[in-house]
Amino acid sequence: MDHLVVSRIHSDAYNPDRRYALWLSAALICCSLTAPAQKITQRGNTSGPFSIRTTHLLGFENAKSNGTGTLSVQDDSLQFQQNGEPSAKVKIALVRDVFLGEESRQVGGLPLTLGKAAAPYGGGRVVSLFSHKEYDILTLEYVDADQGIHGAIFQLAKGQGELVKSELIAQGATVSSHQDQSTKESATEARHENK
Amino acid sequence: MKTSKCNLSIACLIALVAIMLALPSQLPGQTGAANSSGGNGTSATRWSVQVDQVDPRNLDLAYSFQIAIYENLVEELKKTNQFQQVFRGGDLKASEVPNLLVLKTTVEKYTPGSETRRAVTTVSGATKLTVRSQLLTREGKVVFERTVNGDVRFFGSNLRATHNLAHNIAKTIKQSSWSGSGQPTAILTGQL
Repeated sequence: MDHLVVSRIHSDAYNPDRRYALWLSAALICCSLTAPAQKITQRGNTSGPFSIRTTHLLGFENAKSNGTGTLSVQDDSLQFQQNGEPSAKVKIALVRDVFLGEESRQVGGLPLTLGKAAAPYGGGRVVSLFSHKEYDILTLEYVDADQGIHGAIFQLAKGQGELVKSELIAQGATVSSHQDQSTKESATEARHENK
Repeated sequence: MKTSKCNLSIACLIALVAIMLALPSQLPGQTGAANSSGGNGTSATRWSVQVDQVDPRNLDLAYSFQIAIYENLVEELKKTNQFQQVFRGGDLKASEVPNLLVLKTTVEKYTPGSETRRAVTTVSGATKLTVRSQLLTREGKVVFERTVNGDVRFFGSNLRATHNLAHNIAKTIKQSSWSGSGQPTAILTGQL
């Protein structure tokens, strides 16, 4: 009881410490909330399959366009699995080329786009200034059983594209001598945005 | 007198029922005739098409754009039903097909855009593509040639321009007098 009385009386003296503790705990909670979202590359041990969360933009056979799923390298094939759908597979040996690029895209999809359009006094435009995010664009070129050329485009979180590319090369995918476009594309975009 | 009136009304009723029964059966008959007359035009040889990879020439076009144009072209050409089969570039089965055309796409102009600029300013940041599309026979004779544009001006990602471009190319081929059936007769040039 005495302790409580004392702490209430001397509450002003303890305030800075409490604030510090509150800030620290809030920061820790935030970190713990965001950590799982960032940890999308799963590689439990060295022998486990490589998998990554990605959005399939177009081209990968038997996979829905603009669908989110898991891109994984298992055995000798590249697989893309969407929720509740059978996985689409391509043998890594059939991958002829891998390209990496970058693109800045607006986030929020259709709901946010509609919200921005409905916002009065051009408020939506201000939101658009900050509601964009950089993504890695992974482009694959592969051939089918009849040697027909296919292309597939995946959108990944920034920095993840290089991991997939490295994994594919390690598994035996061929990469042509074309210049890596990641720096070139981002430079083009930056130049355009500065105009 | 009364009997004749009754007979007349019965006859009218029968005639009315007969007309009502005959009318629905007559309409499908008309449709069938229209279909068969339309079918006569497409009874000639149907051509298949092989889509070649996009040639960016010396333009600084991202590889994802080249692949997106190519993939969208394959999809859009399939949707038109103008060609018997749509083959991909390099497909070995295409060599076995007797009537084959090759679709070549050369990028002539590319203006890189920005989705953020479009969202903020509305009037700027458009991604624009201009390509030259050619349909060639195996012998290299050009049977169709057009300059087609595709862009994204307001909503959508930059890659949306490739979808619009492929859609425009397929639409141009479908709407042109070159129908994909029958012999290629004249070179069609123009701009969409």
